[in-house]
Amino acid sequence: MENLIANFNYVIVVILMMIGLWSMLAQKNLIKKCIGMAILQTGIILFFISIGAKNNALIPILTEAAYSDPDVATVANPLTQILMLTAIVVGVATLGVGLGLAQKIYHQHSSFDEDEILENQRK
Amino acid sequence: MTGQLPIIVILGPLLAAILAAFTAWLRPKLSYPLVVLGLAISFTAALKLVFIVADEGAKIYWLGNWGNQNHEFVVGIQITVDNLNTLLLTTVSGIALLTALYAKRLVETELAGRQRYFYALLSLLVTGLLGISITGDIFNLYVFLEIAALSSYALIAYGKGRAYMASFNYLIMGTMGACLYLLGVGFVFIKHGTLNIDNLSGIIPTLDPSQALFVGFVLILLGVWVKMAFFPFHGWLPNAYTHAPTASAAVLAPLATKVAVYAMLRIMFTVYSLDYINGLTGIQPIVLYLSTAAIVMGSFFSLTQTNLKMIACYFIISEIGYMVGGAWLANRPGLTGAMYHLVADAAMTSALFMAIGCIVYRLGQAQLDDLKGVFFKMPVTMAAFVVTMAALIGVPPTCGFFSKWYLIQGAAEAGVWHFVAALLLSSLVKAIILFRIIEIGYNRVAHPAIEGNPAIPRNEAPLSMLIPTVAMTLGLIALGLATNTLVNTIIVNAVPAALTQ
Repeated sequence: MENLIANFNYVIVVILMMIGLWSMLAQKNLIKKCIGMAILQTGIILFFISIGAKNNALIPILTEAAYSDPDVATVANPLTQILMLTAIVVGVATLGVGLGLAQKIYHQHSSFDEDEILENQRK
Repeated sequence: MTGQLPIIVILGPLLAAILAAFTAWLRPKLSYPLVVLGLAISFTAALKLVFIVADEGAKIYWLGNWGNQNHEFVVGIQITVDNLNTLLLTTVSGIALLTALYAKRLVETELAGRQRYFYALLSLLVTGLLGISITGDIFNLYVFLEIAALSSYALIAYGKGRAYMASFNYLIMGTMGACLYLLGVGFVFIKHGTLNIDNLSGIIPTLDPSQALFVGFVLILLGVWVKMAFFPFHGWLPNAYTHAPTASAAVLAPLATKVAVYAMLRIMFTVYSLDYINGLTGIQPIVLYLSTAAIVMGSFFSLTQTNLKMIACYFIISEIGYMVGGAWLANRPGLTGAMYHLVADAAMTSALFMAIGCIVYRLGQAQLDDLKGVFFKMPVTMAAFVVTMAALIGVPPTCGFFSKWYLIQGAAEAGVWHFVAALLLSSLVKAIILFRIIEIGYNRVAHPAIEGNPAIPRNEAPLSMLIPTVAMTLGLIALGLATNTLVNTIIVNAVPAALTQ
């Protein structure tokens, strides 16, 4: 239990990812699927940022004096932050394409509901 | 100059994609030649690399020269060309180039008035696929995976009718797969603090097997399985590739799934190791059963379909079973078969979709019932189609025979008889489908050679489509004849060294 409280950010990661996966798989509404996708990606971003975080750490900017012998305990890991910067860009692009497709589907079928769309397609 | 070749392979289509997107805005006519030029540059560089790597061994390129400082851990992004991916790079860029030449007429008729950004997207897709094949960094692989995926969603959504919905489902599944992959990368990173594939392959064998390592492996595997439409995750593929425009399907179907299989091979045998895979005694049989299930289900569903494109899509699903199964046999012939089949299957699927594209171009659709008399209408196309199907069935001397030969040999060596049975069953099913098509195409019309029957006018596909189709089909035979050279000079060096002694 103490372990869970100390690592509560990982608990939130799991909760976020579960909400995201559930709404991508189980929701019938296309927009809710897109929202689930965004939540899933947010969960993963939080996961990566948690990996790189340290207690009382500073921003990872290397001064010239510290270049030869940087004190890694006092700076956050920059790599995870950079990776997530890229992942955010990818996430936004995916969400944009997803919403664009959802809009096209709405024009076609006047509905966001998956069942209604499938019904429409069978006709 | 030769030192820069690895980066030229991806820069060609990337720059072409960016330029083509701009020129599509100002001068739509220019974007097609630009993309063809970009792909041609990429293909030439990849072909040259095959010979260089076969002679001198792996080539490593550091982006921006960031890797050459003397740090214990590398900071830059590495690009690696070794024996495992030279062939794939050549195949991807070669098929993309040929398909771009082939697709021009098809795009003009199928996407009339909307083709403006098509070639830019196609070029971007190829950039993503080449990037996955060439990168030496597991996070960079994720980025390229998404570049390829995003452009393929758009390429599929170019289609009519159900294409939007098919593309949306693919987007949801594909994003889920990419997220699982990314999470797996996170686990690997926690444990090792590096993302560089060469560094990882040095570190992982020195560590005791741990939960984090295992969870990372499983998550990455699940991610790439979704991307390659491996059996329980195959739901998105048939709809997406059937409702996509034929030109998009002709480039997506052969390449996108194969490159994901390559990513799996890279993760399994370079990042993790052969010993690690052999240590997973609980998982190996399950994956082999899943591969068998993929082959059997793919074959079964291809029998029930009435649309030629749909049939071809289920073929892809069963072929994915071949490669995953071959890789997880983890012995020399099995792996050789899987690696050879990567190239062979890309070529076979490409030839198949090109032939189907020719049929669709003339007949408007590809329902089996529409094929009556097609052998008289389009003899050359159908000859190519029959040769391609023979290759898929595994008739020597085409490439399909040799890959199946290695796979069966590997399965027999490992004693996995259900996989052997599935491979043979899949050949049988493909033969049934071929003969059904021959039956419909020849026999359901009055034979024009007999006097009194109406003549069937020849209505062959235009030459600009026919020549690439025939070239690809001849390529299948050439690939089959070159098997010995390929296996003994390139693939033998790509198989983990422990297996070749």
